[in-house]
Amino acid sequence: MEIKINHLTKTFPGNIKKNIPDTTAVNDLNILVEDGTLVGLLGPSGCGKSTTLYMIAGLKAPTEGEIWFGDEDVTHLAAEKRGIGLVFQNYALYPHMTVYDNVKFPLTNLNVIATKKASKILACKKIAELIEYHLDEINKIAEESIYDGKISKSAFARGMVAKYHVVTSIAEKIFHYGFFKLKGEELEQAKLAALSDLNASIEKQTQKYLDKGLTLNDDYEVLENGMPIEEKRRLTKDEIDALVQETARLVQISQYLERKPAELSGGQQQRVAIARALVRKPKVLLLDEPLSNLDARLRIQTREEIRRIQRETGITTVFVTHDQEEAMSISDKIVVMKDGVKMQEDAPQEVYRNPNCLFVAKFLGTPPINVFEGELKGGSLYIGEEKILTDKVFKSEGDKKVYVGIRPEGFILDETKEAKKVLTLNVEAIQTMGRDMSIVASNPHFLGESIKGIIDSEINVPLGDNKVGIRPSKIFVFDGETEKSFYLTEAK
Amino acid sequence: MESKNNWKAWLYLAPVIILMAVFTFYPIINTFFISFLKNYDSLTGANKGFTFDNYIDILTPFGKNQTYYNEFMLTALPNTLLLTFVTVPISIILSLIIAIGLNSIKVFKKVFQTIFFMPYVTNAIAIGMVFAVIFDTQYGVFNAIFGVKGFPWIYPNPSAAAGTGLVNYWSAFFAICFYIVWHSLPYKILIFLGGLQNIDQQYYDAAKIDGSNKIKTSLKITVPLLSPQILYIMITSFIGAFKEYNSVIGLFDPKTGGQFDKSTGMENMTTVVYFIYKRMGESKPTLGYACSGAVVLFIIIMIFTAIQFKVSKKRVHY
Amino acid sequence: MENNAYENSYSSLTLVLKDDGQSVKQKAKMTKIGNIIGLVLIYIFLAAFAVLMIFPFYWMIITSLKSGLEIKKEIPTFWPQIVRWDNYSQAFARLDFLTILKNTLIVGVFSTLGTLFTTIFAAFAFARLEFKGKEAIFSILLATMMIPGEMMVVSNYVSVSLLGMTGGTNALGAYAAMILPFMISVFYIYLLRQNFKQIPNELYLAAKVDGKSDWQFLWKVMVPLAMPTLTTITILKLMGSWNAYVWPKLIVDGHKELYLVTVGLRETFSTAANIDDYGIQMAATVVVTVPLLLVFIFCRKYIMRGVSRAGIKG
Repeated sequence: MEIKINHLTKTFPGNIKKNIPDTTAVNDLNILVEDGTLVGLLGPSGCGKSTTLYMIAGLKAPTEGEIWFGDEDVTHLAAEKRGIGLVFQNYALYPHMTVYDNVKFPLTNLNVIATKKASKILACKKIAELIEYHLDEINKIAEESIYDGKISKSAFARGMVAKYHVVTSIAEKIFHYGFFKLKGEELEQAKLAALSDLNASIEKQTQKYLDKGLTLNDDYEVLENGMPIEEKRRLTKDEIDALVQETARLVQISQYLERKPAELSGGQQQRVAIARALVRKPKVLLLDEPLSNLDARLRIQTREEIRRIQRETGITTVFVTHDQEEAMSISDKIVVMKDGVKMQEDAPQEVYRNPNCLFVAKFLGTPPINVFEGELKGGSLYIGEEKILTDKVFKSEGDKKVYVGIRPEGFILDETKEAKKVLTLNVEAIQTMGRDMSIVASNPHFLGESIKGIIDSEINVPLGDNKVGIRPSKIFVFDGETEKSFYLTEAK
Repeated sequence: MESKNNWKAWLYLAPVIILMAVFTFYPIINTFFISFLKNYDSLTGANKGFTFDNYIDILTPFGKNQTYYNEFMLTALPNTLLLTFVTVPISIILSLIIAIGLNSIKVFKKVFQTIFFMPYVTNAIAIGMVFAVIFDTQYGVFNAIFGVKGFPWIYPNPSAAAGTGLVNYWSAFFAICFYIVWHSLPYKILIFLGGLQNIDQQYYDAAKIDGSNKIKTSLKITVPLLSPQILYIMITSFIGAFKEYNSVIGLFDPKTGGQFDKSTGMENMTTVVYFIYKRMGESKPTLGYACSGAVVLFIIIMIFTAIQFKVSKKRVHY
Repeated sequence: MENNAYENSYSSLTLVLKDDGQSVKQKAKMTKIGNIIGLVLIYIFLAAFAVLMIFPFYWMIITSLKSGLEIKKEIPTFWPQIVRWDNYSQAFARLDFLTILKNTLIVGVFSTLGTLFTTIFAAFAFARLEFKGKEAIFSILLATMMIPGEMMVVSNYVSVSLLGMTGGTNALGAYAAMILPFMISVFYIYLLRQNFKQIPNELYLAAKVDGKSDWQFLWKVMVPLAMPTLTTITILKLMGSWNAYVWPKLIVDGHKELYLVTVGLRETFSTAANIDDYGIQMAATVVVTVPLLLVFIFCRKYIMRGVSRAGIKG
């Protein structure tokens, strides 16, 4: 479902008595999240991205503006009526419930619209099928479920659910047949008896429907006068179980379902939180700093996982992060925010290639962009006395002070490359990092501590002053006052 | 330095240890001891040696003296248990609902909090006397409000003909439960409110996102998260209720202990602790019964506390 | 084939909210109405219980100002028609108020001072000093809180009887018997120990470096810092003496000149007595209750702190 945010503003009232002014957390924000995409809200802490997310969720009321889900204006709809999934920064798993109950909880508040089905017959058929064709494997699962010398029912059920994707109640019914106690001829007889039992009960059930004047089709839908019966009702225990198990498989927490959240690692808790948000099949999934509580290794793994889950389910997803790398790596689109204002909204590589202002340029990229004081003089860009570039755009802008941003990978030190050497860098250190090499350098007009550059490791760079070339696509020029970019890739 | 601290620490602890040895530890042992002495006289310490009679007399009908069996096993103990099992659940549930209600409002919250805490800082005896006036048979406002003129809640109707207008056990029971619950709400509300304020807002937010309505959130999220406080309140209230005494003294007359039905005499509202104190004031050498009663009370409380800890182990989330 | 039918029966479920089908406006409206109704119900519920909580106080005060004639009225008046202040002068006289106040103050002040000293020493030892068996002793002390007081009261009564302190003939002995057993409170030791523990260890070490002894550190640093808790203990302890009934009653055994406030109140009046007595009786309960309410109003913060602290540990 498409999410549209129009002129959204959130102001937290201050206190006149205590001389605390009003604070505007979000200011006239417009965002479009297209259906089925993953959008990252990116910005430093305090930029209003979480507030925005909470307003989309309905947990905070906007001061002004509208939020649209598809063609519905949900601005004034309570959170519990929006039907969304939200993963909290600290997961907010209910500590007193097992993982299973945590994931189940949203389902207990929902109804289901479905055609009426002969679920008992379907279950019997499934049991019969499993017994008839998979009895050996089933007994193997039973053997693997021995704890303390006894076959554990819950372990057996877990095994069955994992292997055959059946609901727990079916696994338990098979358990009660007790096939694992039998061998050879006895087993064969028990199997036949069970099958005929099941068949009898299927027939009995069918007859029951016929007695009521109802018929069944091939999908075992119950037909009244040849038409399936639509019903809106609470979910059955089996349906809840099926959905919980399915979601657990999707986020790979099936083996932890009986534990309490406190018994899980941070990464596992994170998955549970995602499962709880996904189980109700929401049309919108929101994630608040989903990776901030994980260690570095898990962070990369989990963000891939989030991407995979989002792709598999196709749910429109918005997530909030202050980590530009995270946002860049998995988002279809990122929205960069600062002080409650949207700075730029575009595909990650687009924002990286064409930052529209100094803030965005500085915020994206590791190592960060190198910013120099520059000047436009007669249609040319200067850093200090060195003329860097000439472009007709510069001419139309007139003479003025500017900021010049150069990405670390934008420096050319290669002798063989045919690039004009324009800028003098005093190279102070060189670090080889595998394929690439990083240089640390200085320039009197550089703003910041030290210039970082990334170059091919095969190049020889002497320490001391070097005149370097610059890739045109990696250089950005920003107005000295508005900090807006006016030298974009298209222009180059 | 360690060893120096050692004797110094004992010096600091000396007042407590001495006082507790005299007034806590010795008495506990001594009470056990006296409970096995026959005809112990509190004024002289004289007794007639070791016996089980103190227990047999109060707990079984086989003792020589049926009075104490009647007073303890047939009256005080059932009264106490009944009062406990009626007032504790009612007051816990009510205070829980009130606390949740208080926690969900903003306007007038402080005012309500103050009002709900007022009964806590009052004198149980004084307010008991006020309740006696409210429940008065002839002129009580309770009867006036509910339009049952002359209904005897705690005292027989003096203007009724002899043998009529007597107090029914259950009406007296109702009156005392009413008072006990009234008096025990504030503390529970305060503790629950403290617990509620410690519950992280994000659980409520999560429940909202999960589509849960307010009542369901209260039952499935709030109450379980409050379980440490509920356990604490359950244990302290059970102990408190088993020791119910002041309410009886306040509401009924200390001389009668609510011996309201003159026709049967023995049917009254005495409690286990009342039984114990009654023995202490007596001129007869009956202190052994007070001790055996106290030991029985102690054992009951220990058993109940142990059961609650055991049950709660599964259900209480910390 | 069958396999699919089974699996489809779950994967084809359409999950909806319970109010699915309504327009957003309707849903928002329903939520709003539901919220308002809920809030109104909560306020009605709270207000009803608030009235119930206040009513006995209100009834006590207005009855204390009524004449016997007015109390007897078939339809009770909710405000005294003729205010009878005379009830109060009679109540003071009957209670022998100055005597019981004096007794209560003597018992209250001494048992409070005693408690403060024992509590400060013990809490200091448990919070700051290291010694063998510290945890064990502390646990034993806490465990005694679970033991019903009646276990000790019976035996303590025997002890003070044997020492000749009961019966009311020995005034000094009676005071001692009413004070000594109450010079200690495990709960307050626990409360103060927690407070002492919050005082950073660096302060203690700094004081050591400055050459201060434990004794000086306790009185110069810890006690001033723990003043709020000590105030709480003082208030609750004094309230305890004011409300004490059973033990003082047993000790003084009917000797009016040694009554404490609550004993005096209960022993002076008996319920279901002469109807003209009711006004005076209620005036006496007002006299006993109002100081407590005043303390509550002015020291609310301290009382709440002590009371609510109990629940935190669980």
